[in-house]
Amino acid sequence: MRFNIYRYNPDLDSKPYMQEYELRDIEPGMMLLAALLKLKEQDETLSFRRSCGEGVCGSDSMNINGVNGLACITPLADLREPVEIRPLPGLPVVRDLIVDMEQFYQQYREVKPYLIVKDPVPEVELPQTPEQREKLDGLYECILCACCSTACPSFWWNPDKFLGPAALLQASRFIEDSRDQALDERLENLEGPFKLFRCHTIMNCVQVCPKGLNPTKAIGNIRKKMVKNSL
Amino acid sequence: MSLYILEGLKPWVVQRVTAVYIALFLTYSLFCGLSVDVVSFEHWRSWLFHPFNSIAFGLFIVAVLFHAWVGMRDVILDYVHNIMLRMFVLALVVGVLVGCGLWVMRILLFSMVG
Repeated sequence: MRFNIYRYNPDLDSKPYMQEYELRDIEPGMMLLAALLKLKEQDETLSFRRSCGEGVCGSDSMNINGVNGLACITPLADLREPVEIRPLPGLPVVRDLIVDMEQFYQQYREVKPYLIVKDPVPEVELPQTPEQREKLDGLYECILCACCSTACPSFWWNPDKFLGPAALLQASRFIEDSRDQALDERLENLEGPFKLFRCHTIMNCVQVCPKGLNPTKAIGNIRKKMVKNSL
Repeated sequence: MSLYILEGLKPWVVQRVTAVYIALFLTYSLFCGLSVDVVSFEHWRSWLFHPFNSIAFGLFIVAVLFHAWVGMRDVILDYVHNIMLRMFVLALVVGVLVGCGLWVMRILLFSMVG
């Protein structure tokens, strides 16, 4: 199977280039990450992130044949040759397929992704009804792989101002949480022309999310909450 | 008036409300146009200067101008990153839209007297 992989080592290369690889011992049901690990045995300088190999940690996100995804859950059988692998678009490249995620994490931090409780903290758990808990389904499962944000044109155009689908999904996760007591502050923090409202419902985020989540719907729900809150 | 340049929710709501009104007015106009055999200038003028239609058309023009403004503002905020250039292009769009509004008013005034 033939691969075309983005290579760039800022210490050695003046500019990025695509390197061709060939892998002969393809096993049935093999995932892209396994192929990359085999290619790394051929060429130890090939660099990429990976950890769990189960689609849980979100480390091995990359652009595979033009679509963002996780290498560990992408079957080789689904890919046309030569498989073109590039780093996630829109983020600075550290080396080969490794990108600098600082911008992405900064956006994540900006939505305060934790419960804010103003009442005295109780000695027992903060209980929720099954219905209240159900509202968090489709929001809490995000693994922060950055596939969605780096597939979003609004993120490419204004990466320093638009928070991106991943961070906004997390914002929605805490806005919807019945135990959180900072709804007004959270909504106020998202007001303005850039942080939330650069989303134009392009829905690339929905298309690429490896966990099948829907950040566009979450963004829509935040907008509805804003309208309701302003009336 | 801030023209919503630094706001998020208000222009988003304005864009949707104006879109609904534009769709309703165009449907109503189309229905009125199709319900007569021949549409002439005189017929159009009498239709337009019916008090209900005058108000509806005036609101339609305002809705189109605001809708266009929010849409153009969005495109400019997406693509024009230099602050000075962005302000210049935004001002240019305001100028063009105000010009269009005045042009419509002029046409209506001439139609009314002539």
